[in-house]
Amino acid sequence: MDTKWKSIKKVLCFVVFFLGVSLTIWNASGLLRRMPEKLSYWRTGNLLEDDYQQTWSFQNYMTNRLESFLSVAVNGCPGNWYYYGSGYFDSGWSDELYSWEEELALREAEATEMQGTEIWEGTDWDYYGYWDDWGYDGNDWEYWYERYDGTDPGDRENLTEEQKRRLELLEQRKQKLVEKYFADIKGDLNLLYSISYDGKLLYSNSDVLAAEGSVQLPEGYNFLLYFDGEKVRIVKDGKEIDIYGDGYYRDDSNDWYVPGYRNFPVDEDMKKAVICMAAAEEPLLYTTGMDNSGGYRQQNNSLYWMRYNSIMDGKLLRWNLIGLTAGLALLFFSCLCRKGIRESAEKIAYIQGKIWVECKVLLLLAVLYAGWRECRMSGYGYGIWKELAYAYDYQWEVLSEYGGILLSELRYMSPLFWSALFWVIWLSWNDLRHNRKGWRHGLIAKCGRTISAREIKLPMARRMVRRNAVLFVAIIVSGILVLVGTLAAVDYGAWRYYNVWSILLWCVLITACFFLAAYLVGAKNIKAARDMDVLSGRIDEICRGNYSGFYEDGNCGSGMVSGDTGDAFLSGSGSAAGSGGTPGNGSTVENSAAHNLAIQGGGASSGKGAVEEDAALWGSDLSRTMAQLENIRQGMAGAVDEQMKSERMKVELIANVSHDLKTPLTSIISYVQFLKNEEGLPEHVQDYVKILDEKSQRLKNMVQDVFAVSKAASGELPMNMEMLDFGKLLRQTMADMDEEIQNSRVSFRTELPQEPVMIMADGQRMYRVFQNLFQNALKYSLDGSRVYVTLKADGKLAVASVKNTSHMELDEDKNFTERFVRGDKSRTDGGSGLGLSIAQSFTEACGGRFELEFNADLFIVKISFGIAGG
Amino acid sequence: MSECILVVDDDREIVKAISILLEGEGYEVLKAYDGMQALDVLATHPVRLVLIDVMMPKLDGLSALMRIREKQNIPVIVLSAKSEDTDKVLGLSMGADDYVAKPYNPQELAARVKSQLRRYTCLGDIHAGSRIGEIRNGRLLYRTDEKVLYADGEPVKLTAKETGIVDLFMRNPGRVFPAEEIYRRVWDEDAFASENTVMVHIRRIREKMELNPKEPEYLKVVWGIGYKMEKH
Repeated sequence: MDTKWKSIKKVLCFVVFFLGVSLTIWNASGLLRRMPEKLSYWRTGNLLEDDYQQTWSFQNYMTNRLESFLSVAVNGCPGNWYYYGSGYFDSGWSDELYSWEEELALREAEATEMQGTEIWEGTDWDYYGYWDDWGYDGNDWEYWYERYDGTDPGDRENLTEEQKRRLELLEQRKQKLVEKYFADIKGDLNLLYSISYDGKLLYSNSDVLAAEGSVQLPEGYNFLLYFDGEKVRIVKDGKEIDIYGDGYYRDDSNDWYVPGYRNFPVDEDMKKAVICMAAAEEPLLYTTGMDNSGGYRQQNNSLYWMRYNSIMDGKLLRWNLIGLTAGLALLFFSCLCRKGIRESAEKIAYIQGKIWVECKVLLLLAVLYAGWRECRMSGYGYGIWKELAYAYDYQWEVLSEYGGILLSELRYMSPLFWSALFWVIWLSWNDLRHNRKGWRHGLIAKCGRTISAREIKLPMARRMVRRNAVLFVAIIVSGILVLVGTLAAVDYGAWRYYNVWSILLWCVLITACFFLAAYLVGAKNIKAARDMDVLSGRIDEICRGNYSGFYEDGNCGSGMVSGDTGDAFLSGSGSAAGSGGTPGNGSTVENSAAHNLAIQGGGASSGKGAVEEDAALWGSDLSRTMAQLENIRQGMAGAVDEQMKSERMKVELIANVSHDLKTPLTSIISYVQFLKNEEGLPEHVQDYVKILDEKSQRLKNMVQDVFAVSKAASGELPMNMEMLDFGKLLRQTMADMDEEIQNSRVSFRTELPQEPVMIMADGQRMYRVFQNLFQNALKYSLDGSRVYVTLKADGKLAVASVKNTSHMELDEDKNFTERFVRGDKSRTDGGSGLGLSIAQSFTEACGGRFELEFNADLFIVKISFGIAGG
Repeated sequence: MSECILVVDDDREIVKAISILLEGEGYEVLKAYDGMQALDVLATHPVRLVLIDVMMPKLDGLSALMRIREKQNIPVIVLSAKSEDTDKVLGLSMGADDYVAKPYNPQELAARVKSQLRRYTCLGDIHAGSRIGEIRNGRLLYRTDEKVLYADGEPVKLTAKETGIVDLFMRNPGRVFPAEEIYRRVWDEDAFASENTVMVHIRRIREKMELNPKEPEYLKVVWGIGYKMEKH
């Protein structure tokens, strides 16, 4: 219930916001649109009064008519008075501002009898027909006369026959034009008129109106304009209006543009004219039947339509004002529930995220295009683009003027457009704000993904080749387009600038597209290259034996991995990276799980893995290779870990065992010692004690040896390498063992160089090596034989050898350096069986080489070291 | 009066063996079987020396050693089955005065106990500055003017050549001398096959002054280079 209300409230908030904004924009633009051109004519009161006679259009219409009537009275022919929206007066047949196309359009409009809807002077096809006959761009009659006779227009006596004939023709046509003119407006009884000249009534459509300055108005008429040859009097609703003010006409004021001002005096011809005009209070629609064609024909009816428009405008304005107020009020309210609007906006963004990005772009373009079209079609000026072009042409010198025109162009855009524009912009902004990677959801992106997914199946090299080809083509095409665009600009440039704009625009657009394509492909290549760098670095590291995971290890260059690759990588091996760093107990299970995961990520499989893989393929070329490498790495790391662990366990086991052995051994040795010191034991008991003593000592040695050799084998032996003299080492060892050697039944023969033979080794360990070798030799040599100890240095290599003759047959198949292997199978002699094994381990730990050779009964051990330079 | 020694080990037979050994030497022996007991005994008895095992229940030897060191400055000998150099270094750096690996040699152990006690009781602070004409190195003292070597305060009887070698080493502790140089300086002759001769002498000196001549602490062989007097 509560949540339902909340969601309803949310929707309500947004509706309020929507209505508020829409109403405000709609009505504000409507107000602007209906606002008259010159702000000085902006008379809200009048608009609301419904009095059409207070409008600018009416004032304009009346003054136009007055000018026409005056022209008829004086010249016999009406001038062609145009009315422009901006309020200019001009006279003449033609107007430079209009292009031919627009004129033709106008004529067609006229031909379809759209009389009175606009405030044009009544013209029709015939009327223009005359004008066509005169066909020149002459601005007035005077000019035309001059062209044909080259003399003063008043001096008509000296004309040639031809000129006279044409002048006659002209006079006839003028007469016809006047008749046509009055025929057109006569039936429109909303405007009554009477025109007198020199005391003679020329034209009138009313019996009531006399041209004697009477202000008696007929029933239904409330506006009178009377020109008595000097001044114009206007009487409205029985009251006279002061139209001259201080006697000067000002263009920018509300002054009536009629003769009689000090700066707009009445000329001599006009002084004989008397014109009286009356306007109806509530104009009616006058229609006459067309007997010959069987239809109906509306009279001029300008005043009727003027009033109609005025009332409609007034109504619309009022509605606009009401709408604007309501909109602002709603906006105010919506400010109070911003949270709801924000949530709604998020919801909308969520929905927007589901829409293909192309649709959104098309919508945006459609709205902009509609606006553009409207700009071109709006009835005023030349359309915004041409205005821009002109403004550019004039180097923005008249920016203020054109700026005004541009603004007025914008004003004439419809309210619907402005509202639509706002909402489209708002939606775009909303989309961009909430859907960060919104561009990825679209047809093009989907195609791109599909292409990438297909591409990724190709071998790496093919992919690269293809991509570079695309890049090449894109560059060439864009280059050509730029060339074409430039040529077009140069060719059409100066004078046909309308076309060049669009050509240039298209060139720029397409080039931009190609540049974008080139950029995308290039970026992919660069990324691939970077990934390759990372990959090769990774391989290098693995080769060097760094099996640690990619991400927990800072120095692995994970900083170089770009974001997408990282994603891809983690998707395959996220948990593997986690467990890889803890090579302790029980990591086997985790490792295998990680393997499964990684394999899933590598081979395109179903479910979540596939989705992630899709994303990965979109991101990076090498992600699969990376994942595979990661797989290999994990396999190797696992194997190495296993091996290290078992080795470590072995050492630990031996250490523990030797410790556990040592403790009881300590007691045994201690108490055997006490027994040994005991006096008065029987002789055989003393023998037993002696054996116990020997064996316990041997046990002690064995325990120590086992420990040492196992440590050496697992590479955990701490070494203290230093430069030493190999020969001296041998001499010292023999000196150290001198006693044993003297007491043995073998003799030593040495052949050692006097000069030092320097090698790099751990002296203590090497002492142990030779001690063992010499002990072996003493133990297993044939009685009375000799042990040969030699050292030879050949500049690079120092080789020490110990040769002795075995007292028993040597088994060629036996590996003497194997732990616990001994010369005799009975294992009853004193050694631990580790002597040679220790010797070999220590030698190798010091970086030397240990070799065993048999030759019949000759047992040879060779130990070689590289001679240390310097 | 006999001096009181505390033996701490979780293996009762070892404690017993040591106590028999030390009582045979004329010391009074107190026994404890873990670290806590050892601390209790130390709190209540005037102990002059402690022999302590490392791996023990409740409180291990090294932790007990640290606690003992908080209060007392009596000599402590650590007794452990761990014989690695790193273990020895660890024990000594934690404050032990000596480190004996199991299985120990009874004579050596007795000698070490004796040595520590003598240094502690007779010589007092070993860090006291040497007098002129005296060279002190650990438990060794060499009087240069008399040319007499004292080990744990007792004079060591040496032959003339041995005295020459000791004189050379005590004056240059830490320096490595090749056999030839020793021979030249002591025998004052050109060296020829000097290695064995020097070695024989050194072995004899060791037997006179080292606690365990097979694992010398002072007069050491630097294999492949020469011999040196270790600095303590």
